[in-house]
Amino acid sequence: MSDKHAPFFVGYLPVPGPLRGILLAVCVLFISGLAGFGLALGVAQDDPGDGAFRFDYGRQTVTGVVELTPYPLLRVTEGNDRIKAGHTLMLAGQGKNSVENRAIPLEGKLAKVSGVILQRGDLDMLQLRGGRNGLGPVEGAAPELVTEPLGRWKLAGEICDGKCLAGAMRPGRGLAHKACANLCLIGGVPPVFVSTQPVEGSEFLLITGPDGGPLPQGAYDYVAQFVSLEGDVERRGDLLVLRLDPETLEVLE
Amino acid sequence: MSVKYTPVQWNNNKYIYDAVMLLGVALFLYVFLYASPGILSHERPINPQVHNARAFGACAFTMLTVILCIGPLARLDKRFLPLLYNRRHFGVMTVFVAITHAGYILDWYFAFSMSDKYEALLFANTSYGQLSGFPFEVFGIFALIVLIVLAATSHDFWMKFLSPPVWKRIHYLIYPAYLSVVAHVSLGILQDQQNHVFTVIFIGGAAAVGILHLLAALHERRADQMLAADAGAWVPVCEVTEMTEGFAKIKLLANGERVAVYLNDGTLSAISNACAHQNGPLGEGKIIDCLVTCPWHGFQYEVSSGRSPAPFTEMVPTYNLKLEGTKVLVDPKANPPGTYVEPLVAPKQEAVA
Repeated sequence: MSDKHAPFFVGYLPVPGPLRGILLAVCVLFISGLAGFGLALGVAQDDPGDGAFRFDYGRQTVTGVVELTPYPLLRVTEGNDRIKAGHTLMLAGQGKNSVENRAIPLEGKLAKVSGVILQRGDLDMLQLRGGRNGLGPVEGAAPELVTEPLGRWKLAGEICDGKCLAGAMRPGRGLAHKACANLCLIGGVPPVFVSTQPVEGSEFLLITGPDGGPLPQGAYDYVAQFVSLEGDVERRGDLLVLRLDPETLEVLE
Repeated sequence: MSVKYTPVQWNNNKYIYDAVMLLGVALFLYVFLYASPGILSHERPINPQVHNARAFGACAFTMLTVILCIGPLARLDKRFLPLLYNRRHFGVMTVFVAITHAGYILDWYFAFSMSDKYEALLFANTSYGQLSGFPFEVFGIFALIVLIVLAATSHDFWMKFLSPPVWKRIHYLIYPAYLSVVAHVSLGILQDQQNHVFTVIFIGGAAAVGILHLLAALHERRADQMLAADAGAWVPVCEVTEMTEGFAKIKLLANGERVAVYLNDGTLSAISNACAHQNGPLGEGKIIDCLVTCPWHGFQYEVSSGRSPAPFTEMVPTYNLKLEGTKVLVDPKANPPGTYVEPLVAPKQEAVA
């Protein structure tokens, strides 16, 4: 440095006059710039969709037959104003937890379930209350329920955890949400496949392992990605269940 | 400069710097958190926890980007040097914003399960063998740990304790940390984002950091080529007539070290160009009250001994000078820090002419 006329800033001394203008401009630019970026980034967020806990519906209590796919379902036989008989409800516990332990003793039996509905379009799930208040046996014989095989399908779409997808979290899908989705699936929350093309009128399918077991561990790497897969589809009430063939899983561009 | 360690040696410029910084950050967060939801036409709002996490995450990224732009800007144009003065407060503030972001993420995405949320953060996604779906959280964890270490060691006490070279090397970790943040965002939210405003701002910010550093490096390389000296017993620096009273000429020696040769009150003295505080370029400073003053943080040195005036204790190496006619030459062998060297009387300008 040899320009003796250039202003020289020393932090503990007053700011040289010629620098004051530019520093004032920098301050104004910095403050307004940060406010501008805050606004631009804040309004650039994508719509998370209409999924939500429907606390506004109030507590829902219906009766039906418990099925394990192995994820617990209720084939509703006695519904209410919102949940009609013939509907199939996926069941989940509080948080990222399954209700499998409570459902196993009631498999194939009549039971009463109570909880709050999560709903996104045609997809719904019931988060049960704790203990027998949420899932308990009901006197009476369970009716025979039909499971209709729909054959083998090749589909494209995304494997999600059904609870976040249905509205427990907004947004509740995508790669930024993958770890959360995996954690839900590890906890036994029913996984849902979102198909790009509707299958028999439904874009949401409960997805299980190939032998009716839980989603295989290897499929977790594919969660939240755009994938193609094949599997056998069956209809249980108004819910489609896809039994994944893990060998066919493939990430699509 | 200080002879004792206090948490912050406040002065008016630091108050102004921090007030501007806090106002900018507060406005960013306020607008993102409270103004943007009213503008978004979503049928149902984004979860507040996710909205908050995004606000603090975006703010931390923006702050880090600004912080990393200040260095090269100041190298390209000296008028930006005042922005460097209190940058460490900016860095510490960024850490608090980043920790808040991480807190919201942990308490939302990794909560509500039977597992501990910190363990869940590590085991929920283990798809390390693929790019799409890679556990981008690890990049965030790495960056956050680095930022915390840098903030924790940002005080001058740690620089003295660790020694400036070690401290400087540790603080260069800011670059891997920033790259890690870029990877964290690129493999995370950017993969889902449909609105490209975010993408443009993100890429623009990261590109600004990269381009400014590249320009500054090219600028310094050109300057170094002009300053570079061949190896030899005595290295020519300049003609006395080229020197300005109270200012220095810098010479880059063959061993990579820089010497600042000052003309002070008609005499010539040479000290290392690297300030003992943070390696600031002493040769780009000036003499104030008979003391060489660093342009970065105002540390001062006696030009003949390289010692800070009592009671301060900082020292830099000095160099021996000689004159061949009007030509100033420097001995490339540095004297130990604080070694007094008798200043050379410079030929009078009119005598030279």
